[in-house]
Amino acid sequence: MLAGVALGGEAWLLVGGPAPPGGGPRHGQEDGVRLERVGKRYGIRQPWIVRDVNLDIPGGRLVRLEGRNGSGKSTLLRIIAGVSVPSSGRVIGRPGTGYVPERFPPGLPFSARDYLTHLGRAHGLAGQALGSRIDECLDRLGGAEFAAVPLRTMSKGMCQKVAVAQALLPRPGLLVLDEAWTGLDTAARAALDGAVAERLADGGAVVFVDHDPRRLAELGAERWQVSRGTVEVVADAPAGLAGGASSQGTAARKDLAANALAATGRHGGGPGAAGLAGDGLDGDGPAGAAAEPSGGRQVVIEVSGYPADLALPERLPGVLAMSRAQDRLTIRMDPAGSDIVLRALLAIGDQVRVRGVREEPGPQGRERGEQPGGRR
Amino acid sequence: MIAVCRYQAALLLRSHRWIPPAVLYVLAVAGLGGGSPPLGDGLRWSALMLVPAVAWLTRSMLTAEPGAARACVAAAAGPRRTQVAALLAALAIGAGYALVGVAYEVVTSVKPMNPHGSVRLAATVSVLAGGLVATLICLLVGSAVGAFCNPPLIRRPAAAMLSTTGAVVLALASNVSPANAAARTVGSAPQASSWLPGLPVIAAVALLVVAWTASALAAGHRSG
Repeated sequence: MLAGVALGGEAWLLVGGPAPPGGGPRHGQEDGVRLERVGKRYGIRQPWIVRDVNLDIPGGRLVRLEGRNGSGKSTLLRIIAGVSVPSSGRVIGRPGTGYVPERFPPGLPFSARDYLTHLGRAHGLAGQALGSRIDECLDRLGGAEFAAVPLRTMSKGMCQKVAVAQALLPRPGLLVLDEAWTGLDTAARAALDGAVAERLADGGAVVFVDHDPRRLAELGAERWQVSRGTVEVVADAPAGLAGGASSQGTAARKDLAANALAATGRHGGGPGAAGLAGDGLDGDGPAGAAAEPSGGRQVVIEVSGYPADLALPERLPGVLAMSRAQDRLTIRMDPAGSDIVLRALLAIGDQVRVRGVREEPGPQGRERGEQPGGRR
Repeated sequence: MIAVCRYQAALLLRSHRWIPPAVLYVLAVAGLGGGSPPLGDGLRWSALMLVPAVAWLTRSMLTAEPGAARACVAAAAGPRRTQVAALLAALAIGAGYALVGVAYEVVTSVKPMNPHGSVRLAATVSVLAGGLVATLICLLVGSAVGAFCNPPLIRRPAAAMLSTTGAVVLALASNVSPANAAARTVGSAPQASSWLPGLPVIAAVALLVVAWTASALAAGHRSG
């Protein structure tokens, strides 16, 4: 990560370019984690919660665990994250791991910054780099102003932001999310989506559980069904996604990467960056062509902090109109691509903040009454 | 490991959970044991009282962190290392208790021995050395008791507290306990304590290693 110092958290875009389809050379991360005949039970006479699970999670893989309540999803997540040791079998390979629990308890006697400093040190970070990384993570999730607030006095959503931040601090090679989106506001959810895309593009693996079946669907999650202690890989794509999960996901990751590349390349990233940007964009096809508005509804995204010397982003899918006033950028677009656009915007840099996401009836749509940002 | 240990120590200190065992220790040493002028008696008492104080302190440490927060640290450092770090943090703060106890006994016993000369001084140094060894042994035994009788090895609060109390009584009163054996020799004539002088130390260290290992192994298997 040579360029990382100068260019900050999104330097992977310049160093490696978008992840090639079909898994090209990765960089910067250890290669995933593997479970061999893993079983877990809490006591000799207790029933097996999971048993004989063989799984391979290579770098760059996004995995979604599905199953009913009590099916063992969380137990399996804890084993994958290394929080829990399997009762039988073994776990091979352990990249640096970030784990976000479902409910982060507010009882700890630290401020957000102190807690993140301790956790960052436990992850092997130190000094100035740790401090700026904490600022970066909190700011990205919209929690910068709460850095000095004691965790004890924080709301559930704020605590969850701190929990997400501690997992993202080390840019982990394995990110494990147990319903991590619960309690986050819209902008923070989008920021977490963006962080997941970043980890994947950086060659990291991400494993998650979430109630929302559409969560990260556009990034091409492999779906695993956990039931009665066994795990089956569900091969088919989620309903409603055209073209299969994996190709769709590759396109989404490419969109995200290409747009950030286009933006960053024009930002004066140097000749090498410009060259790479060209490589990344060549032959990309019309992935970002403007789409027909679906269902007559539109999403309006407002961001602030858009760099003044940066051209308007191009090739964003589904964008209908864009306007800027000073550092404020307002994008009116088709709801289907809004996640990708949000992530692309957030990937430009820490200074870009999402000020509002709301859904409005389009010119031909006449329905009313949906909540702002009510897509999720 | 050091980072996790610092985190655990900060957790224990800033949650103020270190205070109740400290109050117990101060009351026991200064209150119940107060007014025992010979240094040997004082050091024996302050060493023995470390066992319940450090056992309680260790329990406070092991129950300080909510499960989800512990999981975040365990993902970073591994559950076993996290557990050892917590035990180490409690032991370090327990050592702080011990220093305070020894300092108190030395200070309160200074006056009566002033009029006598160097002969008394040499004897005092020997008593002090014996007292320090006994203090160390009791510190280790207290930590071992705390690790054995609390989560993750014994999870239910009632069972954990009852077994901690029982183990403390056993460690203080039983003839085979290293804490008891070490405390008995404090202040007595050197030849009386010279049979197998290192045995209580070895026993205490062995006890500590077994307790910490069991606790660390169990930490990886817990459910919450």
